[in-house]
Order: sequence, then structure tokens, then C-alpha cells
Amino acid sequence: MMTYTEQIEDSMFDKLEESEKDTEFIAMESKTYLKDAWDCFKKNRLALAGLIFLLFMVVLAVMVPVLSPYTYDSQNLDVRNALPSMAHPLGTDKLGRDILVRLMFGARISLMVGFVAAFLNLIIGVVYGGVSGFMGGKTDMVMMRIIDCIYSIPSMLYVILIMMVFGSNIGSVLLGICVSSWIGMARQVRTQVQTLKQQEFALAAYVIGAGKLRILFKHLIINCMGPIIVSTTLMVPEAIFTESFLAFIGIGISLPQASWGTLASEARSVIQSYPLQIVWPVLAICLTVLSLNFIGDGLGEALDPKNR
Amino acid sequence: MSDKVLLSVEHVKTYFDVTKGPFSRKQIVKAVDDVSFTIKEGETYGLVGESGCGKSTLGRTLVQIYRATEGRICYKGRDISTLTQNDRKEFTREVQMIFQDPYASLNPRMTVGEIIKEPMEIHKILSTSREREERAAELLKTVGLKPDHIRRYPHEFSGGQRQRISIARTLALNPKFIICDEPISALDVSIQAQIINLLKEIQENMGISYLFVAHDLSMVNYISHRIGVMYLGHLVEEGDADEVYENPIHPYTKALLSAVPIPDPDKAREKKRIQLKGELPTPLNPPSGCPFKGRCPIATEACEETRPELKDYKGHKAACFRIQT
Ligand SMILES: Nc1ncnc2c1ncn2[C@@H]1O[C@H](COP(=O)(O)OP(=O)(O)O)[C@@H](O)[C@H]1O
Ligand SMILES: [Mg+2]
Repeated sequence: MMTYTEQIEDSMFDKLEESEKDTEFIAMESKTYLKDAWDCFKKNRLALAGLIFLLFMVVLAVMVPVLSPYTYDSQNLDVRNALPSMAHPLGTDKLGRDILVRLMFGARISLMVGFVAAFLNLIIGVVYGGVSGFMGGKTDMVMMRIIDCIYSIPSMLYVILIMMVFGSNIGSVLLGICVSSWIGMARQVRTQVQTLKQQEFALAAYVIGAGKLRILFKHLIINCMGPIIVSTTLMVPEAIFTESFLAFIGIGISLPQASWGTLASEARSVIQSYPLQIVWPVLAICLTVLSLNFIGDGLGEALDPKNR
Repeated sequence: MSDKVLLSVEHVKTYFDVTKGPFSRKQIVKAVDDVSFTIKEGETYGLVGESGCGKSTLGRTLVQIYRATEGRICYKGRDISTLTQNDRKEFTREVQMIFQDPYASLNPRMTVGEIIKEPMEIHKILSTSREREERAAELLKTVGLKPDHIRRYPHEFSGGQRQRISIARTLALNPKFIICDEPISALDVSIQAQIINLLKEIQENMGISYLFVAHDLSMVNYISHRIGVMYLGHLVEEGDADEVYENPIHPYTKALLSAVPIPDPDKAREKKRIQLKGELPTPLNPPSGCPFKGRCPIATEACEETRPELKDYKGHKAACFRIQT
């Protein structure tokens, strides 16, 4: 039997104040999710550089009519195929149009196609995938088979068919790109919702009487917002790329309007004598796509709760 | 505690179809298989059993997360599967649930205030957002947290504190009946007692009934008025808490009790532990006859063939052929 050398008595202890009883302390500083994510995003140099470049592009594309003395279709046959100079920083094309101005007008179209396509994919994909995963059973089965059908036709075919019906304009290009590209998003959201809906917080929402819509949007989808935002960001360059490719092979918006793809295609015809002209649109596409990819990666890291 | 029956469960079965693909053999998990009991107003009914015996499934069937395959669940005398839209709303307001895992049962994207206000918004309790906010702060005090925690997120709290937030969320609806699905099993021992005492205190102040699920008999005995013991989807013993705790009559309960550690070393030395042989059989293709026969030290041939019914021995019920009276 063990004994203590000194007797321990109750009087040797101080009593806790009533208010201190039962409390455990909170160590972590209170930060909202978004603030936390932004702090993490800022630390990623590449992502930040990408964001700055993209913002710069957007500002230029919006401001170009104010900033420039030329318009995208003002021809000046005296300065055809000029090299970069003070008057034309990136030179002129075969009709004497300022390449920088055309590039910036091209940015309007290319960026718009990218963002609008990504936005449409976001809305359609999240709602479709969310409903499919949440309802489960027969509804889910039918909805997934519909997706399989849409997916089984090559997306280029949609674009060409839609162009034939609605004509060569930016709307048809957008529609063509969007017909099947939301499917990836829908599948991803469906899988996430299927796992999240088994979690106890979703059951708790059901038990307190929350309706289906509230559970789906306020409890499930909000919890997969991280991956959703990342995929949306990565969808922008994909759409820009597809549009450029289509324009390059001659499908898409009609001249004299130009997207980056059209510019590249035009420059190709003079590539033997003026190779510099094709560099600019290609560079614009590359840098924008790269920036968006960096932003996507940065967001992926910043929005992942495991990095907290 | 009054004598009015609040909830009666009559021969409830909850089966899961886990058949894989359209061409394989049909496979059914009999998670809850013919369970009957009643809970009175203001009473705590403790439900114990090994993990996987169907306790959570039973609790979830009671709040209609799962539909009962067969049988009836009556709340205040009305079958809950036939409630109208309005009555169902009333039912969800009165019957609440606290979940096992405090780390999974709170939406990580909502602040504590939003979590506690949500049930009030759904049921239109109080009219303005201000009033709800005040009520939420009050509830936080009731469960032993600080009102200024209201703008924080769940990840900033410890397990015990989160369980308190869960409790506050259910109390926001002034419920009459709360199902506590192992609310303490994920917590530290020192915190467990605090939560149990909080639940007890709430019951005394508000007259709430509990279905208290746990796998540890000593905790259940402390909080419950009556105890039911589950084994492989069946209720095998039921009676007043002290009665079941002090003189268990079903061999399974005896074995469970012999595994409870006793704080007094002298008494502990006298105690004989009954070793359960064998693993818990799965509720997928359960054995015929008595579900416990494979691990029972006193099983006979009679136990092989038919399943013993729950029989009443002066208020203490058990399902075993070997009980002599
Ligand atoms: N949704 C489900 N689908 C299929 N089987 C399930 C489901 N939920 C529980 N089960 C099975 O039912 C049995 C009882 O589980 P559960 O009620 O969680 O037990 P307990 O809470 O007592 O540990 C287990 O065998 C489990 O695998
Ligand atoms: Mg359980």
C-alpha cells in the first residue's frame, strides 16, 4: 500500500470560480472560411501572378476603345505588315490593322467565351449533378443515362450542327461548347453529394425538418464548393482553347470580328514572310490559359480544408 | 415522469437491401428485426448492445431517416408513417435527435448561430432574426457555452463543446422527445460525465423523454429509468434500470455486465468475467433460432430451432428459453 509523506487536505486546493467550471478553451483564432482561403492563396506566388495577369487582360480588353486611336477594323493600307513601332506597338497585319488593338478586341471575345461557358457549366452541372446525387434511386439512374447519351456524341459534331442551324455567331459557339462540357462538373458534384448526404449533419438537417432544397443547397453543395470553384476556373481555359481551335480551323464568329484563334489563323497565311505576327495571338492564348491554370491550382490548395 | 405513453414501437423491422447489381443473389441486412417497446412522457429509455446490433438504425427509423420495413411506430397514439404534411411538421418539431459523432454532425460551413437558428427558421419559431439570435445566445448559455461563441465556426470547438452545440440545436425547437445516439461515446471520459449531467438537468427542467443509446451499461444505468438490451437486431431483455443492472436474467446481458469495470478493486477481484466466445454474427443472413445461441454458454437444442419471444417476468422481460421461474 502506498502512502503519502504529507497529508493532502481539501483546504490545500483553491476552488474554481463558478464561471470557470466546465469550460474548455478555444485556441484557434476565429477566421472566416473566405479570409482563410485568401491568405493561403496569396502565399502561392504563381497563382497570384496569374490572377494579376488575368485582371490586367480583363482591364485592357474592357478599356481598349477608350485607350486606342484605332478600331479593330480600321485598315490603313500604307502600313501593311509593319514591324513593331511607336505607332503600332505590336505591328500591323496584312491589311494594316493594328495588331495590339485587334488582340485586345480578341481578348473580349475569347475571355467572354471562357467565362460565360464556365458559368453556364457551373450552373447546369451543379444543379443537375446535385439533384441526381441527392435523389438517388431511379431518378439518378435515368439522369445518368441521359448524360451518357449526350456524352457519346463527339462535342465537335454538336458545334458544327448548331452552327448549321443557328448560323456562325458567338452564341452558336457558346452553345456548342456548353452542350456537353458541363457533364464533368455534374458527375463530380453527384459523387460528392452522394457521400455528403450520408453525413450526420445532413441527417441532422433532415431531422430538424429542412426541406429537400434547403438540404441540397445549404448543407450539401456548399460543402463541395471548393472543388466546384476549382473545376469552374479550369473550365475557362478549356473553353478559350476550344473556341480558339474552332476559330483557327475556320468555324466560329464571322470577320472582321476576331478572337485569338482567328488572329492566329490570319497570321498563318503570312507566316513565311512575317513570322512575328503569329507569335502575339499564340502568346496571348498561352499566357491566359497558363494564368488560369495557376489560379485553379492555387484555389484548389486554398479551398481544401485539409490544408488548414 | 407520468404514466402517459409517448412513443410506442410495435414489431418494427428495418431491413436494408444490399443486393449488388441486378443479377446477383438477393441480400438483406436485418438491422432491426421485430422490436417492440414503449417510452413514457419524461422517461429515459436506455438502449444498449454491441456495435452493429442495430441501435442507430432503430433510432433513425424512429425519426424516419429510414422507413420501417414492417411494424408500426406510434407517437402520441398516431402512426407516424401516415402523418399529413402539417402533422409531420409538428412531429419533427417535437422529436429530435443528437448524433454520435460531434465532428460530423455540425455543418462546417455554418456558424454556431446559424446552426442553432436554422430549426427556428424552418419552423417559424419567433418572428424576427433578432429574436432568434437572442434565443440562440440564451440556448448557448443553457448548454454551458458562452453567448459570444455565436459567430464562431464548429471547427474551433472541442468534441464536448460541439456536442453541446448539437444539444442547443435540438433544444431550439422545445422538443418533447430526443433520441441520443451514443452522444458520449466519441468523447473523453472526463467530458462524458459533463454531457450526461447536462442531459439529465435538461430533462429535469423541461420534462423531455430520451431514448438514450449506448454500448456502455454503467452510463446507461446512471441516466435511464428503464433499459432495453439489443442483440443482432432483437430486443433480448428489458426492465427497470436497476433491476436489469443488478439482476440481469438474459445470458447476454450477464456477459455484458461482467465486462463493466468496477472502480472498487476488492469487489472487482470477486467478480467473475464471463467470456463471450465467437464473433458477433452479422445481421446479413442471421442464424435461425435464438440469435445468441452461437455464443451462449447455456444454449440447448431448443435454442437451435425457434426464436424465443420476449416474455414478461413481473415487469422484467427477457427472451430466453432457459429462464426458470
Ligand atoms: N444504410 C445502411 N445500408 C445497409 N446496411 C446498413 C445501413 N445502416 C446500417 N446497416 C447495417 O445494419 C447493422 C446495424 O447497424 P447500426 O444500426 O449502425 O448498429 P449500431 O448503431 O448498433 O452500431 C450493421 O450490420 C450495419 O452494417
Ligand atoms: Mg451506432
